[in-house]
Amino acid sequence: MTAAVPTGSTSRGFAGQTRPVARWTVIARQELMDLWAGGKGLSILFGFTLVLSILAYLASADAGINLLDARESVGLVVTTSIALGTLGAMVVSADAISGERERDTLEALLVTPVPRRHIVVGKLLAATTVWVATLVVALPFAAVMAGGPGVMGDAVTVLLVSGSLSAAALTSLGLAISSVAMSNRTSLVVSLAVLLALAAPSQLPAVRSSTTLGPILIKLNPLSASLRLADNVLVRQEPWSDQMVYLISPALAAVVFTVAAVRLARRLELGGSR
Amino acid sequence: MNESGLDGRVRRADRSLAVVTENLSVVYGGFTAVDRVSIQVERGSICGLLGPNGAGKTSMIRALTTIVPAAEGTATIVGHPLTDPVAVRSNIGVLPESNGYPGAQTALTYLRFYGQLYGMDVADAEGRALDLLQQFGLSNVPSRISTFSRGMRQRLGLARALIHDPAVLFLDEPTLGLDPAGKEEIMVELARLAVERGTTIFLCTHLLDEVERICDQVAIMNRGRVVAEGTVDEIINSSGADSFARIRVRPEAIPLADEVLRGTEAARAISFDNSRPGDLIVTIDSDHGSAATTLRALLDAGVEPQAFDFRGARLSDAFMAITSGRTDDIKEGVGS
Repeated sequence: MTAAVPTGSTSRGFAGQTRPVARWTVIARQELMDLWAGGKGLSILFGFTLVLSILAYLASADAGINLLDARESVGLVVTTSIALGTLGAMVVSADAISGERERDTLEALLVTPVPRRHIVVGKLLAATTVWVATLVVALPFAAVMAGGPGVMGDAVTVLLVSGSLSAAALTSLGLAISSVAMSNRTSLVVSLAVLLALAAPSQLPAVRSSTTLGPILIKLNPLSASLRLADNVLVRQEPWSDQMVYLISPALAAVVFTVAAVRLARRLELGGSR
Repeated sequence: MNESGLDGRVRRADRSLAVVTENLSVVYGGFTAVDRVSIQVERGSICGLLGPNGAGKTSMIRALTTIVPAAEGTATIVGHPLTDPVAVRSNIGVLPESNGYPGAQTALTYLRFYGQLYGMDVADAEGRALDLLQQFGLSNVPSRISTFSRGMRQRLGLARALIHDPAVLFLDEPTLGLDPAGKEEIMVELARLAVERGTTIFLCTHLLDEVERICDQVAIMNRGRVVAEGTVDEIINSSGADSFARIRVRPEAIPLADEVLRGTEAARAISFDNSRPGDLIVTIDSDHGSAATTLRALLDAGVEPQAFDFRGARLSDAFMAITSGRTDDIKEGVGS
């Protein structure tokens, strides 16, 4: 028996078709299914929720003895959410291409008429949902810790604007690394190393205390700029108008890394096997 | 005209060319995996691409399926040049040698996804997927792909490659790891596709018996080059591969039989089968005679064989003769 072929949609009816098939939505939908129904996304989210719960408990206990006020507690939740949410999205994107390559599922995808950039865009969108999910989980924690609408409003704005830009930048970077890395392990290690290198400056005492080089490094670094902005707005209560400078590097990085990931898609290949 | 598929060579009316390569080369770094290959595959035919490991077969397929770029030369797939990859990809189905599967998906989800990638809407993709699952005996398997046996995965991979009813199907070792029944199922399906759908099949395999049964055309690669191309018969005839005759005589007649056979030009070599006393194995030199010549010589000398078994050259013999270097470049001598 031979299967019936839908008219006009397959190779015989489709033989004259030479235009790319725009299917990034199909890729994104399938990736979302694999990510969330497959359990990986939920595992990441569970880990994130666990960490946030522990932090919230400790912060609340400290607040009870007046070591942390509400703003400091919210600041802790927001900065942790930005760091971990970005990490989760980056891990997923770093696995997106190199993982397929390693699992031998990439070749079947590459021989479809779907343009490479659509494959990358679909995967990028799916990985970004990890950040969106952490955002959704973080908001109730922030609301509980805030204790008032003023701090909560700032927290939501910081997460939506600054956090989202950082997450977009590093998710794209992870995907770009995944496109060129020949093994999944390399992709994940390099991505995590980059994330650590970006997160470290904001934590180093020498950088934090420096009055000249320190602020410049923090502003240039998209992740540390986001974390500093959260700290300045939520804990130090500095006005938003003074914080715009901390959005420049996350915004630029988001654009540059997204363009890089999409452009690298053209060179998407299987690897060096013969 | 024979359209019986497995029982003979598949022959169809449409003889325009599906795959044409002209001096196609694939280079990885400094290593030339495919070296100026020129072949033509007729539309609706089954072409077997043979060669020892490392001969360049997979690289050849990857070049033709636009996975790796050609370093030089040109190629067209149903008239579309490789420089127009979207058009080529729209017309080909590919089952790579190492094809991975998303273990968490079901077969239906997997096929529906690929149907949509080829431009079908969800309903069409699902309908086509269901038909293919039924065709490949997977319709009653709702579990995840991770639970599938090797044979089921191969059938699913073939279904995926056929989801858009491609004009040309590239299969790299489609029966690798399958049991004999599984191999037979795949081969029957391929022959049926060629006959009923007119699909051109580019089959890369080590199963020479299967190639002999279903392929209209064969190309043998060695060290990146096509060293023989033509029909199975053309390749066997041109390879110089030996035929053999096993002759059983009474033990006391062996010395006389040996002497007689050595005196004939048709017997290139004679050996004895120690496990079966009385059996002589004669390598026939087809340039100077035939098995009948040796039989006649024995009868004329008064030696009456108790048994006579002739085995003509097979594709496997030709393959060994060609790839072991006995025939360095016989392509010129073989029709294509």
